[in-house]
Amino acid sequence: MSDQPLVLGFETSCDETGIGLVRGSTLLSDALATSVAEHERFGGVVPEIASRAHLEAMVPTVHRALADAGVTLGDVDAVAVTAGPGLTGALLVGVAAAKAYALALDRPLYGVNHLAAHVAVDELEHGRLAEPSIAMLVSGGHSSLLLVPDLSQDVQPLGQTIDDAAGEAFDKVARVLGLPFPGGPYVDRAARDGDPASIAFPRGLTGQRDAPYDFSFSGLKTAVARWVEARERAGEPVPVPDVAAAFQEAVVDVLTAKAVRACRDHGVDHLVIGGGVAANSRLRALASERCAAAGIVLRTPSPRLCTDNGAMVAALGSRLVQAGVAPSDPSLGADSSMPIDVVSRAG
Amino acid sequence: MRREHTLPTPADTHALGVELAGLLAAGDLLVLSGPLGAGKTALTQGIGAGLGVRGPVTSPTFVLARVHRDGRLPLVHVDAYRLGGLADVEDLDLDASTAESVTVVEWGHGLVEQLADEHLLVELDRGDDGEARTARLVPHGPSWERRLAG
Repeated sequence: MSDQPLVLGFETSCDETGIGLVRGSTLLSDALATSVAEHERFGGVVPEIASRAHLEAMVPTVHRALADAGVTLGDVDAVAVTAGPGLTGALLVGVAAAKAYALALDRPLYGVNHLAAHVAVDELEHGRLAEPSIAMLVSGGHSSLLLVPDLSQDVQPLGQTIDDAAGEAFDKVARVLGLPFPGGPYVDRAARDGDPASIAFPRGLTGQRDAPYDFSFSGLKTAVARWVEARERAGEPVPVPDVAAAFQEAVVDVLTAKAVRACRDHGVDHLVIGGGVAANSRLRALASERCAAAGIVLRTPSPRLCTDNGAMVAALGSRLVQAGVAPSDPSLGADSSMPIDVVSRAG
Repeated sequence: MRREHTLPTPADTHALGVELAGLLAAGDLLVLSGPLGAGKTALTQGIGAGLGVRGPVTSPTFVLARVHRDGRLPLVHVDAYRLGGLADVEDLDLDASTAESVTVVEWGHGLVEQLADEHLLVELDRGDDGEARTARLVPHGPSWERRLAG
């Protein structure tokens, strides 16, 4: 076990400062600091505050991760960091810190893709990913279907959202319903008391001639806003649980149907779902039901590991070390729009 | 160019964006207002297509802003929906100069007008049902008055 590489992972692509330690595919620690509360005080994200919060949280969070794992910096064999995609100023803090640690420790540095890391994190709980797998990444910023022949170097995009991300639709509908930010968990909770069949909301891009693996949630978001406005105009109460349940059902129906179709079309019988929206209880239940019916093995990380964290970056870094992928150059930069098919910045 | 537009379908919103792109110059600021689902991202997709930038142009709400290149001018697509405040677009640490780009800000009404001396406000709205949208172009500054009149 101790001959497996110990990898220190840095994640700062958005609001969370995440530092994780992974040995081989064993999770040792996962320390997290968040600036969400600070942003709430300002009524929204302030980019400078996000960057500053990462800066202030960085060293204490690294120390906490080391203490939780019971290791010292000298034990670290490699350093991995999210190089993109994300907020440039936020990414830069993580990249600069990871480079400093790698240089000071004289260890290799791996600049990795945030999205591939959301897939890799599942290996910490469920072992080596079957390859090829289909991966579906659903979060506030992304909704993508990927074919993954080799997570360390070959990730192929099949489709993505053409307008709003799935998590963004949850956030915006939550605001329409007067629920707090981030909307996902609140919509999920409200929906438990609602009837998903009470309102027929549209399923975007599900026609015969529509792109089979692309998503569209903008029309759904508008339909929900209109439905609620009409109720309010009529002076009637808005049945929040029913709206939440019907909206959520429309999202997860499309997500799971397209994921299962991608598996079937590509002859792949393993599906992994990652990203913050993968913590949604109805998505997990419906995906599980439909995968079972289609003979597909479904893997989803536990909700705690679905949202942004440092362990996922360390998990992907560990995978790269073991696959013998070339580390990144010390001149590694942040790439806010890093393409999804670039797993890591080599050389 | 007409100031008032009726946009029966999303394709018409897109076409208005393409037409607007023809008027744009480096350093321009466009502020898009309107409720959820009024067509702000659809209009920006049209502007991106008109400029010929590399896409996909999708909602930047979560990432706050995206830069699209490889067209006649770079397109900086900002979404102020989650922003608490913004003294300067440079605060977004974008890898682009707003003086050399076209900056389109969704949800920016009342928040970002000071970022440039002049700007074009595009007020988008939707009716109570159906696909139809409306757009009203409101020039702020002499150059925009001239361009819309021309």
